[in-house]
Amino acid sequence: MTIVKSTNITGQTAKIIADKVNVHYGDNHALKDICLDINSNEVTALIGPSGCGKSTFLRCLNRMNDIIESCRVEGSITLDGQNINSKKIDVVELRARVGMVFQKPNPFPKSIYDNIAYGPRIHGLSSNKEELDHIVHSSLKKAGLWNEVHDRLESSGTSLSGGQQQRLCIARTIAIEPEVILMDEPCSALDPIATAIIEELIEELKNRYAIVIVTHSMQQAARISQKTAFFHLGKLLEQGDTKSIFTNPTHEKTKDYITGRYG
Amino acid sequence: MPHSHIVKSFDQDLNNLRSKIVDMAKAVEQQFEKAERALIENDLILATEVRQSDKKIDIMEQEIETVAIEMIALRSPMADDLREIISAIKISNALERIGDYAKNLAKRVVVLESTKDMNINPSVLSQMISIINIMNQDVIKAYINRSSEKAISVWTRDLAVDNLYNSFFKDMLIYMMENPENISPATHLLFIAKNIERAGDHITNIAELIYYIIEGRALDMVRPKGDDSSITNVDYKETL
Repeated sequence: MTIVKSTNITGQTAKIIADKVNVHYGDNHALKDICLDINSNEVTALIGPSGCGKSTFLRCLNRMNDIIESCRVEGSITLDGQNINSKKIDVVELRARVGMVFQKPNPFPKSIYDNIAYGPRIHGLSSNKEELDHIVHSSLKKAGLWNEVHDRLESSGTSLSGGQQQRLCIARTIAIEPEVILMDEPCSALDPIATAIIEELIEELKNRYAIVIVTHSMQQAARISQKTAFFHLGKLLEQGDTKSIFTNPTHEKTKDYITGRYG
Repeated sequence: MPHSHIVKSFDQDLNNLRSKIVDMAKAVEQQFEKAERALIENDLILATEVRQSDKKIDIMEQEIETVAIEMIALRSPMADDLREIISAIKISNALERIGDYAKNLAKRVVVLESTKDMNINPSVLSQMISIINIMNQDVIKAYINRSSEKAISVWTRDLAVDNLYNSFFKDMLIYMMENPENISPATHLLFIAKNIERAGDHITNIAELIYYIIEGRALDMVRPKGDDSSITNVDYKETL
């Protein structure tokens, strides 16, 4: 199989290239011939009505669909040119490179410190306490949580507010230095201020990672992403520059969806 | 026609905004027609009426702006809705300017008394005004019918107004050279012609905005431009 090398505007090769991806859950054909490039230093928003396949696609990118028995993934998804569905790929290592943040904040029922130290410990990223401290502190700083929790790192992660918990989960994700961060509606359980803080954080994180975000908020997709992909009934109907998708979408279905009309 | 919004009140808001634009455009069109009649019939009462009604036009513009800004704040419009609402603000601005020109024509009715002795053919001015009136009507139709073709047709017709203006400009220069007593009335007439010509430019802008609402991109054709009065010069010696 040939690897499709597509390049983005700056001439870089895309970080992740999905080519003709098909997903079946048993008899249900959930994704149909999805071709999408994900670039580094860019936020890609996946939008579309519930059940359109956007979360399924997101889960393909770090093989979270493996857990679902009836699920079959076809087509090619490459990360830096390497097929992630290959048998040679170590899934644990893949998920370290492609981290994920979920809709509901899901900190471990452990201390704030241990929530973040967990990943680096199992991946052997530090050789002593000092190094581990450094990873924990800098991850909390990058996630914009340090000032709020630095004096209570031993309290439980679940004692934090919803927005803080979500930032803890982001800190946990970046502690193991991923290359791509997948976010599945990371703000849907948060209030507007916590949402704004996370959006500001995403803006900053995009300088270091490729970010893919599934969101039901059109305004959020418009605010934070550079690229937008519109999914509908398992197909990728339209993708492109976020600015043009939200001012002048070419596909009728995209227009109906983002303006809130019956399609 | 586009599909309706799931939130019905959004459609009601949009329809309300559209009908406000149509009402304002019709009011401005009437102002222009009345100003024309006042000029031709030298009707000072009608001229006063036009000047007073201009305030209503200004209020209509403010209302449209308020409704549009509220919709942006409350509905977070996207895509064609966003283009439509932003363009509504710009269209109402252009209409307000056209209204101003109508008012200005009306203001000058009184000075036209003094042009009676001049051997001036006023048919150029009334020709210009009647083209403007038809452009006004057609631009409203283009807006109501969502027709980019009609919008382009209005947009190209401005050339005729520009050409008439140019020839009128030259005529006035010659009148002024012939007799210094003509300078005052001819200057007023020039301003009148200029106002009509500017009104045509604003209608053209509205046509461009309608095109943008419908097509989602700016009209990128090169508009036939005819106003070359800024480079027109008549040599005094030639007129002697």
